[in-house]
Amino acid sequence: MENYIKTQSAVNGGEPVYVEREVADMLSSTDLSEMLAAGTKEVHEKAENTQFVKDFLKGRIRKELFKLGHVALYYTYEAMEEEIERNKDHPDFSPLYFPELYRCNALARDLEYFYGEDWRERVSCSLATQRYVEHIRQVGEDDPVLLVAHAYTRYMGDLSGGQVLKKVAQRALKLPVTGEGVNFYQFDGIHSAKAFKQLYRSRMNELDLDTATKERLVAEAVMAFQLNIEVFGELDEIGKDIKEAIMDTDMPVYEAHGTGGDINKCPYYAAQRAASGGSAYVSQLAMAVLRHPTGQVLFATWVAALAGFAAWYFM
Amino acid sequence: MASSEAESGTLPEAMEEEPFLSNLDLFLFTLIAGLVIYWFITRKEAEPIPEFKKLDQPAPMTRETSFIEKMKKTGRNIVVFYGSQTGTAEEFANRLSKDAQRYGMKGMAADPEEYDMCELSRLAEIDNSLAIFCMATYGEGDPTDNAQDFYDWLQEHDGELGGVNYTVFALGNKTYEHYNAMGVYVDKRLEELGAKRVFDLGMGDDDGNLEEDFVTWREQFWPAMCEHFGVEASGEDSSIRQYELKELHDINMNKVYTGELGRLKSFEVQKPPYDSKNPFLAPVTVNRKLNKAGDRHLMHLELDITGSKIRYESGDHVAVYPTNDTAIVTKLGQILGVDLDTVISLNNLDEESNKKHPFPCPTTYRTALTHYLDIMHPPRTNVLYELAQYASDTKDQENMRKMASSSPEGKALYQNFVLDDNRNILAVLEDTPSLRPPIDHLCELMPRLQARYYSIASSSKVHPNSIHICAVLVEYTTRTGRLTKGVATNWLKNKVVGDNGHKSIVPMYIRKSQFRLPFKASNPVIMIGPGTGIAPFVGFIQERGWLKKQGKEVGETVLYYGCRHESEDYLYQEELAEAEKKGVITKLNVAFSRDQDQKVYVQHLLRANKEDLWRLIHTDNAHIYICGDARNMARDVQTAFYEIVEELGGMTRAQATDYIKKLMTKGRYSQDVWS
Repeated sequence: MENYIKTQSAVNGGEPVYVEREVADMLSSTDLSEMLAAGTKEVHEKAENTQFVKDFLKGRIRKELFKLGHVALYYTYEAMEEEIERNKDHPDFSPLYFPELYRCNALARDLEYFYGEDWRERVSCSLATQRYVEHIRQVGEDDPVLLVAHAYTRYMGDLSGGQVLKKVAQRALKLPVTGEGVNFYQFDGIHSAKAFKQLYRSRMNELDLDTATKERLVAEAVMAFQLNIEVFGELDEIGKDIKEAIMDTDMPVYEAHGTGGDINKCPYYAAQRAASGGSAYVSQLAMAVLRHPTGQVLFATWVAALAGFAAWYFM
Repeated sequence: MASSEAESGTLPEAMEEEPFLSNLDLFLFTLIAGLVIYWFITRKEAEPIPEFKKLDQPAPMTRETSFIEKMKKTGRNIVVFYGSQTGTAEEFANRLSKDAQRYGMKGMAADPEEYDMCELSRLAEIDNSLAIFCMATYGEGDPTDNAQDFYDWLQEHDGELGGVNYTVFALGNKTYEHYNAMGVYVDKRLEELGAKRVFDLGMGDDDGNLEEDFVTWREQFWPAMCEHFGVEASGEDSSIRQYELKELHDINMNKVYTGELGRLKSFEVQKPPYDSKNPFLAPVTVNRKLNKAGDRHLMHLELDITGSKIRYESGDHVAVYPTNDTAIVTKLGQILGVDLDTVISLNNLDEESNKKHPFPCPTTYRTALTHYLDIMHPPRTNVLYELAQYASDTKDQENMRKMASSSPEGKALYQNFVLDDNRNILAVLEDTPSLRPPIDHLCELMPRLQARYYSIASSSKVHPNSIHICAVLVEYTTRTGRLTKGVATNWLKNKVVGDNGHKSIVPMYIRKSQFRLPFKASNPVIMIGPGTGIAPFVGFIQERGWLKKQGKEVGETVLYYGCRHESEDYLYQEELAEAEKKGVITKLNVAFSRDQDQKVYVQHLLRANKEDLWRLIHTDNAHIYICGDARNMARDVQTAFYEIVEELGGMTRAQATDYIKKLMTKGRYSQDVWS
């Protein structure tokens, strides 16, 4: 919405305060917070539209994937928060030093809940996550100002959608209301996410940076989004493999009435399986055989032999 | 004998070479072809069986898609539909359907996606039926996924829903433009389609307190339903207790709570970190009256946090746990005829609930009424409804139930008797002599006493071991002639500075806020804080002074303050004058509202300094801070800013509004306001 402002102001006896120009100029700025918001708008939408995120928002998140997602987050935040600690007095980062944002401990508690006390031995850093982590480490060491972009990308998101995701996760995964497993989404030191984001933006804008650096930061933020999107993509791939393996034992997202969520307890489902169970197995086997070309030939041979036998018998 | 070729692939070729087929050949060919065709057909059928797409339909064969039939079969008259994305609306629906039982009815929660919503009109077939809708709004005023079909049907349907009774509770978030759009739409549309609204639309705001909104609505809803259906809460249900009373005699007093919020003995053995469950007992070192005259009492307190390891920033809030006036607690004990020092425990009858007790137990009635329960706020309607059974006078009983109903007469009665007359539970008991409930049921119904938050009036740079509070005593006389005082402010006022070893203590903890001075001291600040709103700015000014002393370049520090009379309630007058003299405050503007014929407030002073302000805001990157009254002052100040931006920025009002809103988003216009 671009408008043109009055050429004269009524103040001080009509002395023109501003010449004609777009109000957008007056309202726009070289504020880093606005540049980041504008510069990452597109990639943000892209991230929202990945299969993993879309499914998550609809509550279609399988426990195994959720856990792996959490593992990825752990390694990411562990790296990022170590680099932030290292650079907390660096003039290009210190205004944004807010330890109340730290997620590492909360994630560790969640992972302990999911994997047990020995969780550290049971989890490992995936490829896409490793790429993300390495990039953060490099930034922290060589070019700390770019950490701002990474902190912005993750923390602002956590303070926005995070609250909705917490409820979705609790419901979809039947997690206890006492908050185990979703500590990641809980910011105990922050009373108002909205007020905090406003403070965070004001601090970003207080950084003393030239335009070139700000543009680099925007590019870095886009890169951070991309790295996240790659982690989602990796999770999607893993998700496809998991589907076949644990199909039977996994709890369906939809809760069958009266069975407490366990579809195997549903009498109607059980009846259906029984009816098709026997033939289903045989058909599966037959199908597997018939897929194979040799199998086809053998089957044809068998048919022909049968036909021949029948012919002999009847003649 | 026909030769059987090993390869069926060669058979057709053989056929072609001999155009004249023998019957046998033909027969064989047909047989084999038939078998092959049969094989193809069965192969296709085998495929779909292993794919369990039925995840969202576990029992497609026999699932009932008619909620009417289901209701009839299971003897239910209430159905609660939910439009839910994150599960909250669904949870509410489940709770409501369970509630029905307490009122002698039977309910069921239902997902509109799974049922034929077009059957809604058939609800009239069921006696005393009711459809409740818990509808969440998603995104840009959209229905949740599971309510999309229902939403489409509502828009397209043009039928008659006469005989259908309904009510809607909407879930949403006020910060979104299309707040509760879905709930509002359903409520309106059903009426348009001829259904009968039996209770007002409930509005739940997740930005505020969704749970509270729901509980409040639901507590008024059920009594209204009982009246609507002419149903009495069934005999055993009229005393629907959640908790069971256990009196504990001969108990070791070491096991009894005496006011702690979390761990037993946390008041005796203090261990950091300190938080809402484990407050620090801070001794009061200063408690002085701030105003020189006038009939109000404004006070300044200082709490000592030495040794607590508590850290704070100026702008943070200090939370304190007040206690109720002992005189009122004693009177309650007298009027109900109980020994307040009986040790009791209230245990949840629902063993699976996380909440074992309504407040820390075991404890005494005295402790509960003093430390844990809010006995001063006017009791909510559900409390009156549940207590009604204990009124021996039938008219009293009737009135109490009526006040909880949604009838206009009842609402007016409640407004008048409880709200306008400011009656707390003691006053209600005193003025309703036939009402004498058992004290334990009363304790179960009273809400918990909440911590109170005050903007800290000191800077940790200057006072690292001391937290300062600036407050005004709330005191008024009700229409019934009762002198009523604010719980926390009265309690604070009476915290005399200890002498002879006896210290007054205040259980407290810090709640971090986002109300902060700019990171760079060179950035100018504009502070607007009339009355007790000056509190955080006392801290800000101390901090700016400290920075200046450190040799830092400190930007302009502008204060706008307001009070009634210069000679009466000009808070921190000396401190502010000193700061101005030292150049810590670069511009001090004070409005004395009642010192002249026309009222002069801070917003008038703002307008008088519009050029200066515009320069600071637009050119010098100033941060603006507002603290104090939310209802009028904050709004009036905001309007003044719109006008300044409009005029000096040469913008339209809409553009000026945008400009200020942007400052808020970017954290350059912050508010710490209360109502």
